[in-house]
Amino acid sequence: MESVLLPTLTKKEEIDRIINNTIDKVLVLRFGRTSDENCLLLDDILEKSARDVSKFATVALVDVDSDQVQVYVNYFDITLFPSTVFFFNAHHMKLDSGTADHTKWVGKFHEKQDFIDVVEVIFRGAMKGKMIVHCPLPPERIPKFQLLYKDV
Amino acid sequence: MEEKKTKAKKKPSKKSEFELCKVCRFHHDQGPRHKYFPRHKELLSAFLNRFRSKIADVRFFLKNPSFLRPQEESQNRVWCVFCDEDIVELGSSFACSKAINHFASSEHHKNVKQFLWKHGPSMDCADDFKISDADVAKWVRKCTALGNKDASSCRGQLSSDIHNNKLEFERTEKVQTHYINPNDLNDVKPLLYNTNEYQISHSGVTHYGSHLNVDASHLPPGVIGMTSNSSSLYGDSTGNVHTGAPPPWLNPNGGNIYNQSDITKVQEKLPAKTTSKLNPHRVGAAWAERRKIEMEMEKRGLAVNINTDADWLPNFGRVWQSGTRKDSRKEFEKEKRKLVVTAESISMESEERKLVKTESISVESEEPVQIQPYVSKRARAMKSGE
Repeated sequence: MESVLLPTLTKKEEIDRIINNTIDKVLVLRFGRTSDENCLLLDDILEKSARDVSKFATVALVDVDSDQVQVYVNYFDITLFPSTVFFFNAHHMKLDSGTADHTKWVGKFHEKQDFIDVVEVIFRGAMKGKMIVHCPLPPERIPKFQLLYKDV
Repeated sequence: MEEKKTKAKKKPSKKSEFELCKVCRFHHDQGPRHKYFPRHKELLSAFLNRFRSKIADVRFFLKNPSFLRPQEESQNRVWCVFCDEDIVELGSSFACSKAINHFASSEHHKNVKQFLWKHGPSMDCADDFKISDADVAKWVRKCTALGNKDASSCRGQLSSDIHNNKLEFERTEKVQTHYINPNDLNDVKPLLYNTNEYQISHSGVTHYGSHLNVDASHLPPGVIGMTSNSSSLYGDSTGNVHTGAPPPWLNPNGGNIYNQSDITKVQEKLPAKTTSKLNPHRVGAAWAERRKIEMEMEKRGLAVNINTDADWLPNFGRVWQSGTRKDSRKEFEKEKRKLVVTAESISMESEERKLVKTESISVESEEPVQIQPYVSKRARAMKSGE
């Protein structure tokens, strides 16, 4: 089910294009599958908040089942779905949310405002020249997961 | 005896009421001791030096008196720090005349003494801020001599009108003040004197010169300024407000300040101006500027962006890599090459297997990661010792 508002990317060129064309705005890339329940919940929140953050953020969905996207799935070390990666001016923005992986947001957001807060913090940090920012959400609202290194 | 001495030493310092120090610009309760503090002395010397420079300017005009034009009256003002008074040269004929009279007055002398007694440790410099009566007398003589010179030059031309029955040097001074500097045309100046018949007659001297029986044609241009208003100042014969000509900025031919080429230059620069509001230290600022220029050029169709490199990867810090993001990218590209090589080797091997059925070839696989528990140095040493 394709979102009406949010573009779904299935090719590497499309991802490259959107990264290169998003200037001075946060780029939110959701890597996931539309068949996954958590992905659908996350997509719902992203669709609802896309307009609110449109002045300082662009949101796009990436279908991980596409073959051409696998290079980015490997490059970004995406093993759990859904995963959300943030960019600003073609530079990756890290988010320290107390979890093992600072390079992305794994899982869904509790509510719309949480997502807006995270994107706002990332934008503010990026405008000040920070490439890693602290997550403003309380620990109970941050999804927990375990990272495995080579299935260990 | 010793107790008395200690008591004498331990006199509590009396704190007086809070008062404002004009020099240091703060309130203190140190009383008269304050003027001996080093900070106050420093500030006082700076304070007095500033006023000394102002008095030096006034002394210049004391030695070289000159006429004061009405448009310069507002600029020729002095604030006397000792008397807390602003001396404005309104209606005075000569530059700094009121200031000179003020600095020579007995009230000012009294205030100077009082100030130095209150703020300054010494009264030696009091004479620097006063003007003696002898100097003032010399100045007055110079002024009258100066006034007589100018009065005699235009005595024959002035009529016996009611307005002219004043001191002749004042008359000439007012006539002279009507000279308009062409450089001041763009400045907006306040109305310096009340509009009355006298003024109107002077402003329209080229048209209404007969009112005062002043024939403008006799006067050479530039002298006194009565006839130098209209033609000599503007230079061009394009007309003026009195002739009803349009203003220069509405003139289609020569009125445009900017040429078309300048406008295009400004328009080209517009995108660059908008980016200046953003923080130049933000993440990826340099990349963003370059990208904006590229997009502008693409819009105009000047340059085709060949940014569709299949191997392009964005700046990303990987999870299991330490070091810089460039290292992460290099590491990933190395892994990619390894995967390609192993994939090729697997495909080649599978082809060989098809050809030779009898041979059994084992597929190379990565050794499984061996997990071993951590053994401390001491434990290792003990083991090796056993």
